[in-house]
Amino acid sequence: MAVAAEVQHSALAEHIHHAPKSFINRYIFTLDHKIIGLQYMIVGSLFFIISGLLAELIRVQLLNSDGRFLTPEHFNELYSVHGSSMVWLVIIPLATGGFGNFVMPLMIGARDVAFPWLNAASFWMFPPAGLILFSSFLVGAPDAGWTEYPPVSLQGPPGTSMWCVAIFLIGISSTLTGINFLVTMLKMRAPGMTFTRMPLFVWAQLATAVLNMVATTALAAALLALFLERTFGIPFYDPSHGGSPVMWQHMFWFYSHPAVYIMILPAFGVISEVLPTFARKPIFGYKMIAFSSIAIALLGFMVWAHHMFTSGMTPWLVLPFMILTFIIAVPTGIKIFSWVATLWGGNIRYTTAMLFAVGFIATFTFGGITGIFLAAVPADYQEHGTYFVVAHIHYVLFGGSVFGLLAGAYYWFPKMSGRLLNEFWGHVHFWITFVAFNVTFLPMHWLGLLGMPRRVPVYDPQFTDWNRVASIGSFFLVIGMAVFFINVIWSIKHGKRAGPNPWNARTLEWMTSSPPPYYNFVKVPGVLHAPYEFDQPLPYIGLEPAENVVSGYKAPMPAGSH
Amino acid sequence: MTAATIAHEGHHDDHALALYREVADIRLLGFVLFLISDCVLFSSFIFAYIYMRDAAPVWPPTGVGLPDANLAAVNSIILFGSGATMHFAMENWKHGTEIKFRRWMVATIVLGALFLTGQGWEYTHINATWWGSTFGAAFFTLTGMHGFHVFCGIIFLIVLLNQTLSGVYNKKQYFGLVAGTLYWHFVDVIWVFLFFLFYVW
Amino acid sequence: MAQQARPRQGLGPGFWPVTLLLAVICAFCDYFVVVTPASSILREAAAPADQTDELFKVLTFFGVIVFVFTIGYLVYFAIVWRKKKTDPEDALGIQIHGNFQLELWWTIVPTLLVIAIGAISIKDWAGIFYAQGGQLAVEAIGYQFGWEFRYPGLADPVPDELHLPLGVPTTIHISSKDVIHGFWTPEVRLKQDAVPGLVTTIHITPTEVGTYRIICSEYCGARHGYMVGKLIIEPKNTFTAFLDHEKYVQAHAPKGPGGLPPGVNLANGNASAGQTLFAQKCSACHSLGAFDQRIVGPGLGKIFADPSHPKLVDGAAATPEDAAGIIDSGFTGDIGTMPNAKTNGLSNDDIANLVVYLESVSKGQ
Repeated sequence: MAVAAEVQHSALAEHIHHAPKSFINRYIFTLDHKIIGLQYMIVGSLFFIISGLLAELIRVQLLNSDGRFLTPEHFNELYSVHGSSMVWLVIIPLATGGFGNFVMPLMIGARDVAFPWLNAASFWMFPPAGLILFSSFLVGAPDAGWTEYPPVSLQGPPGTSMWCVAIFLIGISSTLTGINFLVTMLKMRAPGMTFTRMPLFVWAQLATAVLNMVATTALAAALLALFLERTFGIPFYDPSHGGSPVMWQHMFWFYSHPAVYIMILPAFGVISEVLPTFARKPIFGYKMIAFSSIAIALLGFMVWAHHMFTSGMTPWLVLPFMILTFIIAVPTGIKIFSWVATLWGGNIRYTTAMLFAVGFIATFTFGGITGIFLAAVPADYQEHGTYFVVAHIHYVLFGGSVFGLLAGAYYWFPKMSGRLLNEFWGHVHFWITFVAFNVTFLPMHWLGLLGMPRRVPVYDPQFTDWNRVASIGSFFLVIGMAVFFINVIWSIKHGKRAGPNPWNARTLEWMTSSPPPYYNFVKVPGVLHAPYEFDQPLPYIGLEPAENVVSGYKAPMPAGSH
Repeated sequence: MTAATIAHEGHHDDHALALYREVADIRLLGFVLFLISDCVLFSSFIFAYIYMRDAAPVWPPTGVGLPDANLAAVNSIILFGSGATMHFAMENWKHGTEIKFRRWMVATIVLGALFLTGQGWEYTHINATWWGSTFGAAFFTLTGMHGFHVFCGIIFLIVLLNQTLSGVYNKKQYFGLVAGTLYWHFVDVIWVFLFFLFYVW
Repeated sequence: MAQQARPRQGLGPGFWPVTLLLAVICAFCDYFVVVTPASSILREAAAPADQTDELFKVLTFFGVIVFVFTIGYLVYFAIVWRKKKTDPEDALGIQIHGNFQLELWWTIVPTLLVIAIGAISIKDWAGIFYAQGGQLAVEAIGYQFGWEFRYPGLADPVPDELHLPLGVPTTIHISSKDVIHGFWTPEVRLKQDAVPGLVTTIHITPTEVGTYRIICSEYCGARHGYMVGKLIIEPKNTFTAFLDHEKYVQAHAPKGPGGLPPGVNLANGNASAGQTLFAQKCSACHSLGAFDQRIVGPGLGKIFADPSHPKLVDGAAATPEDAAGIIDSGFTGDIGTMPNAKTNGLSNDDIANLVVYLESVSKGQ
């Protein structure tokens, strides 16, 4: 399906505002999706560092089987805030608000998202939510895990109520972002960009936006009910007043399972962009990867009770949830095999982004396999509530989401800043992180199966050695991440200058300057083809050559705009 | 870029109209998606009510009096009536008969306020408290959330009415009114479910 | 702008030797998976732990294959398809988009695998759910932060230690007094949450004598990490001796008035006050007919006189102390849930009056 030689533009695409003048309107209360994306990334990275350090305190406590480094109360607060922060203040904001915001509109040839003001409002809910959560340490932080099951969470310190408020707030932010992105991707693609010409990162963000938009309000309901019960005694969950603890689990997990797909799908999208670029060949199985993203999103709504196999819910209910969870393995496997096949026949350059992408496939596959172990109900009877689950979630969320986002960071840093991250230190970062990650989390699988439950500050002495191995591994993880953050800060000022397209990639964000002008493209191009044919000319018409495009707010108003 | 600016600049300008249409289209999708996510909020509490009722050994819980279906039926007719008046208001707007439009809008707002008054009356006369039973928990939370949505809807309609008075919209460009109508009908549809749940089942 | 793609070399240098190597690695690992008894890694203390272990073996067997081949090919491709130093800077890879046959097979095979694993999982689940139990029934009750256990014939719970006789199919009813706990003995391979307001159930037949830990596997508060009980599997006669000893201890232990809830004194109970109370508070759910004349709860006309009004755990007739205990703390079980005295607005005197009234009804019929 060809586009006319003279590209028919939308009136909206030709409607370009004058750039804001003041520093505040450009960089603080900005409406520019690129700057908002950076804001999310800065704040998200800060929360990542803090939550990571909380985890290090946990690992110090667990060096000894009867450690006295922390009181049990503090220990419980630490992992509860660590988990809550990583899910809601780090991965979801970075994956959607951060990378989604910066990259997606550029990738579809849009000048911004559908609702820029709403975009900014979504961001500005993020720091307060984090502040509320972390300031709960002053009055007693939430202590019943990131899952806060009642009745024990009804007994929790005041921080538990603050947790309800904080997560409710970030939930509103997420929902609005989901709506914003969905409308953007449905209505503002460049002329000629049909669904099958969309880059896979956009498909991933599309599926994620649907999840964000539909699932998050279910969490809001659960949080509201918990807050009302804690504050006013409204009986939802307390059985001594007729409520049901298992009902919380249904309501919580109905959101929180789709949430894990919100966390992983954008990372899948990054991998699907990085692999073809650095293997210099098309992504293998484009259509199946695209459709499997949608399948995973839809199936993701139907499996929540696989977190509840031991909960005392109606017994026969475990079976449909088990079967549906097994079924999700199929589209996930299709993606993994397609990525591996993308490497076949490639001409691979090992930039750091590519290293993390390949590392991602290894660790995520392993995490996916332990997911099958958890899905099988009789096996779950042994694994639930143990370190086996802790191992699984870190393989898929760290080895999966974080590795994917790190690949994205190395990949798009040049587009965001106009400079390259240092590749030598990037390789150092990767290898330290990859090895340390496995040293930390691999032993947790058998620790769990052999009898170590989760959420405990002390444990049976037989588990001491492997706990020490895990703790030492985690200290090296800190070193690896420190290398990364130093690299980022240094490279912003001193990194080698990157042109518009240092990786010779083919998606639209690389067809404009680095960083892009405030209106993204001098002329929105027409799109003729999906962007993965490396031996063909670029599939765009009407593009202004990127070398001629001025960056940022210095860019002059394009001629012919209204 | 408000509809006012576009309307003023581009009343006879094709380009401005095309731009408005695109923007309105985008805003409509965004608003519909927002309503869908709002549906999920209500659905979650409806799930909770059904779950709690199914799990309870005795229903209604001892000491709780179920609300009066007759009063609620009258109140529902008032609310659905306001949906009808909203519809007539929009028809008049599209035909350009602004005075009739305003009358039907005022009727809608009045009926909405009457509905809320009815709810308030029921709250003070029902033999159940918000904190006293799982029934109370579900009933007051759900009808309370719904009532809050109606209240916000009334404010929304008043703002829209005011905007029509200052000429923000015209016969071709009236996205705000479309959003208002959709929202008001949404509130009606939610009430259908709540009525069935609490007064019929 | 078109660049010359790297010419094909069949499936790549060394593809088949690597495939063979991966198959050998799989065979090697899976051999150990098959021959290593799971009990050598962690003891199996009771049936149906063997069902779980069989499933673990199946999962590991196939998991090894998927992992070795996926990661094996990943690493192999990642190495062998690297850009050569002699290639021009922008040299391309082989421009293929997919391969229908391959994609079909790697959809079908995992689907079949998932179906197979699903079928085995369902079979093992049924083996666990429908496992033999019931010859002995005990209760495990979690609280912050310990366990107590009720045995047939013992009026009071025994703290911390669950004794079970070897070879006897046993049902464990699990519940909680306060928050959610998790009842888990790793050697038994079964876990169920202890949920207040519910009773969860597991059926096991102990197969190996020993002392095992009962670990709380669901966060329950500050001392969750310290909440450990003991599961003691012992020969039948040792178990019987244990029960006898506990009976003796409980019979002779200094108690509150007749083992009643503290503050309830049956001697002061007034039957006619109890009758009024019964009509007000209890008759909505309980009749005064036979046990099976249920409204919501069972009929209470003969609870003290007729063994078909069983106590929770065994078939002995209920005592006034049992009745007082149930009215005081409420009840959750297979037959339903009854709110506790606080919820029902009953004072200690009310409890005494009701019990005395029920005694008079029982005697009179």
